[in-house]
Amino acid sequence: MANSDTLGKYTVAYALSLAVVSVLNGLLVILKETHEESVLALMKRLTGHHWITHGIFVIIAFVVLGWLFSRANGGRGIQIPVPRLIGLLVAATVVGGALIAGFYLIEG
Amino acid sequence: MVGGLEGLMMVHVLFGMLCIVAAVWVFVDVLNVSEANIARIRMLSVAVAVFMWLAYLIGGYWYVTQYYADKAIILKGPWPWAHNFFMEMKEHVVLGLLLLTTYLPIAAASNLVANKSARTLVLWVVGLIALIGVAMDGSGAIIGVGVKVGLLPH
Repeated sequence: MANSDTLGKYTVAYALSLAVVSVLNGLLVILKETHEESVLALMKRLTGHHWITHGIFVIIAFVVLGWLFSRANGGRGIQIPVPRLIGLLVAATVVGGALIAGFYLIEG
Repeated sequence: MVGGLEGLMMVHVLFGMLCIVAAVWVFVDVLNVSEANIARIRMLSVAVAVFMWLAYLIGGYWYVTQYYADKAIILKGPWPWAHNFFMEMKEHVVLGLLLLTTYLPIAAASNLVANKSARTLVLWVVGLIALIGVAMDGSGAIIGVGVKVGLLPH
């Protein structure tokens, strides 16, 4: 019987995916804005607008990473203490936002 | 059809505000979780995600097809930073907010009555949603004023 204070594998997997993608989101902003001729231009070509491509990338990454994390450990999902999971999620959300805000504060 | 597009922006803001209100409601309900309100928490968690997706899709459509005109006004006006910082920041931070709201129903599907860890997780997620949501709302207001001051004689 599962411990009542543990989380389900999808709850953990998609929390980790959310953490990873939050940081990736910030890094992609910096990458595309500092490589306008290559990355930004490619993102514009793919969908007609860089922001649409950016959104699709982020959403697909979230879904795929969450699914992969839920398949780890022979299908039991990634095991991580809940306080560490929450800390990672909050820290990644803050870091992702800070990367974006910090970049535009400096470059804007 | 200017009136229709202005209405679209108001609907965008409306769904954003509904998302924040529903998130705060979830926060308070989780603090007082019991068998009596667990179904409401799960329903409201889905509502948070649906409101956010509607705000994102409507705002996104407007941003991609209409914002260029406002952007030009802002950049020629006295508040160019309303675009250079607030709009640029908002259009990307909102993607993180979209994922947080999408994740909320997954976290809220846990047994929140018996599981303290799940409650803590949901409280953090929904707290972040409310805080970032308010920041996005404030940024939107600054962008709107950026257009307004750009249209004033200067």
